[in-house]
Amino acid sequence: MEEILKVEGLTKTFKQPKKLFKKAEGPETVVAVNNLSFAAYKGEIFGLLGPNGAGKTTTLRILATLIKPDSGNAHICGKSVVSEEDEVRKKIGFLTSELKLEDAFTPDYLFDFFSGLYGIDKSIAQSRKFSLFQKFGIDAFKNQKYGNLSTGMKQKVALVVSIAHDPEFIIFDEPTNGLDVLTARVVTDFLQELRADGKTIILSTHIFSLVEKLCDRVGILIDGKLAALDTLENLTKEKNLEDTFFELYEKVTGAKI
Amino acid sequence: MKNVLLIIKKEFNRFFKDRRMILMLFLPGLLIFCLYSLIGTVMEKAAPTIPEGYKPTVYFCRLPDGFLSENDLKLLEGKDFETLEEAKSNVAEGTLDIVVEFQANFTAAVEGSSRPEVKVYYNSSVQTSIVGYTLATGILSGHNAFTVNSTPTEKFDLVDEDEQVTNIFAMVIPLLMFSLLASSCISVAPEAIAGEKERGTMATMLITPVKRIEIVLGKILSLSCYAMLSGIISFLGVILSLPKLSGGLLNLGAVSYGVGTYFMLFGLIISIVLVMISAFSVLSTLAKNVKEATAFIGPLMLVIILLGMSSMFFTNPSVGLYAIPFIGSGIAMSAVLSTTASALGVVLAILSNLVLTALLVVLMGFMFKKENIMLKK
Ligand SMILES: Nc1ncnc2c1ncn2[C@@H]1O[C@H](COP(=O)(O)OP(=O)(O)O)[C@@H](O)[C@H]1O
Ligand SMILES: [Mg+2]
Repeated sequence: MEEILKVEGLTKTFKQPKKLFKKAEGPETVVAVNNLSFAAYKGEIFGLLGPNGAGKTTTLRILATLIKPDSGNAHICGKSVVSEEDEVRKKIGFLTSELKLEDAFTPDYLFDFFSGLYGIDKSIAQSRKFSLFQKFGIDAFKNQKYGNLSTGMKQKVALVVSIAHDPEFIIFDEPTNGLDVLTARVVTDFLQELRADGKTIILSTHIFSLVEKLCDRVGILIDGKLAALDTLENLTKEKNLEDTFFELYEKVTGAKI
Repeated sequence: MKNVLLIIKKEFNRFFKDRRMILMLFLPGLLIFCLYSLIGTVMEKAAPTIPEGYKPTVYFCRLPDGFLSENDLKLLEGKDFETLEEAKSNVAEGTLDIVVEFQANFTAAVEGSSRPEVKVYYNSSVQTSIVGYTLATGILSGHNAFTVNSTPTEKFDLVDEDEQVTNIFAMVIPLLMFSLLASSCISVAPEAIAGEKERGTMATMLITPVKRIEIVLGKILSLSCYAMLSGIISFLGVILSLPKLSGGLLNLGAVSYGVGTYFMLFGLIISIVLVMISAFSVLSTLAKNVKEATAFIGPLMLVIILLGMSSMFFTNPSVGLYAIPFIGSGIAMSAVLSTTASALGVVLAILSNLVLTALLVVLMGFMFKKENIMLKK
């Protein structure tokens, strides 16, 4: 199996903003990601499953080169996210509600602009735009301002633009969060299609059913650490995913649910 | 470089899709023009006008007999003075309109082959003197046998230095220009940088393989173009309304700048805009939203305008002063407009602006690599 993603000892600590801990009296720093190591292989969907605040988004932001780890490293297609960011950026598509598109532009223009920034050949970009717009039903809206589109259409446009450069590796933070059911279905179907095309995907979620539906392998993230790392099949051999998760959660945190 | 162009194009697209931005481009210039013209019209009504059939007063020095026809002489009113110097000081004081001085042995010189000179002295701060000057030079022009006001070292305009129109220009325009340019810079920089951070569209660009410095350059260049355009439109508003504004008070007919002046002025304006945009952009990068950016820039803008204004107080600036950011540009602009600028000083002022811009761009390139600056919430 070809290793597309290799994560080794990834650690990231945040200083908490001053205002917060004044009233909360909490710790000054939060270890969001704690010595994380795992790998993802070509053509699979890897799921990072964890509760809120587990460090999923932080991990994915490091992989997307948006932030730097304090220590450790990750390689995507053999390129380091720490020292070869530009190479990594060419190979990845990052999807998250954190990244926005400008309201004033049309989907058509946004696609052209971003494929331009990725240095995609014009004619290749045009044919890719044509087929993606058709597939997601964006065609009829391609000359309307992004800001005037419906939420569902906006999300589809954001998805299409983020994969304008046909990335090898796709990073998806909470794929179905905030999507209406129809759009969510379109997105999950598309992720499976991408996998069939040999793309590698890492996604984060707190929704068990999504993992069960999509993922080949799963890392269960609790308090910045991997509590389990296995195939979906092995994790759900004895009990269902939800029960497995809560058992682990109680063991790691000592909390009784 | 290709990416820089892409980003510039995107910014232009944004500017010109936004009706508010287009309006903002023209509005200050238009407002200034209307306001100044209005003030001018009101002042013009109040200003004394030259009565119909007014004959400018003139003192002829060594006027050769029969040189001027009866008809020509009828247009002017001759006055007598003891000496040439006395007549000239009357022109300076405004009690006499013009002095026309013929060279000694004028007739003999004309008959020989040398071309003698006729000197016409006037006072550009006095309306009737300008009329007289125009009349006299009109009568005297078109002769090959002699020249009019040809000694380049001589000052024929006897206006008191302090009253000189160019000096008023030189004092007011830098202040005005600095304020106009700064306000057009502040209307775009926070929106384009802090605004993109606030809305989350900057992060989208940061995950593409575009070099950080390319984003910075694309932003700075496009913002500078917009601010320049807006600044120049405002400047045109000022220039076009000045004749009206000046009314009877300033005689702009006497001020004419050469191509070199405009060229130097243009260079200065470009370089000032570049520094302002880069400085404002650095602050906008530090801010987490537009509101904060505007709050950061406000005090800096005030300081910049004050520095530009301080040029008024340097009557005899040394060349070194030109190299100080903003102060130097103010002095240089002032000097260019009063046509006393040394090319070295202007070049120095422009260069120092460009160097400062480059430093700020490099600084911003570093800032764009810092996650706690770029992703601050
Ligand atoms: N930029 C930041 N500054 C300070 N703390 C942060 C920042 N980003 C995340 N954190 C903290 O790190 C922890 C993990 O957050 P996150 O990665 O967003 O978790 P998840 O996506 O799994 O919900 C949380 O405690 C969060 O408060
Ligand atoms: Mg998250």
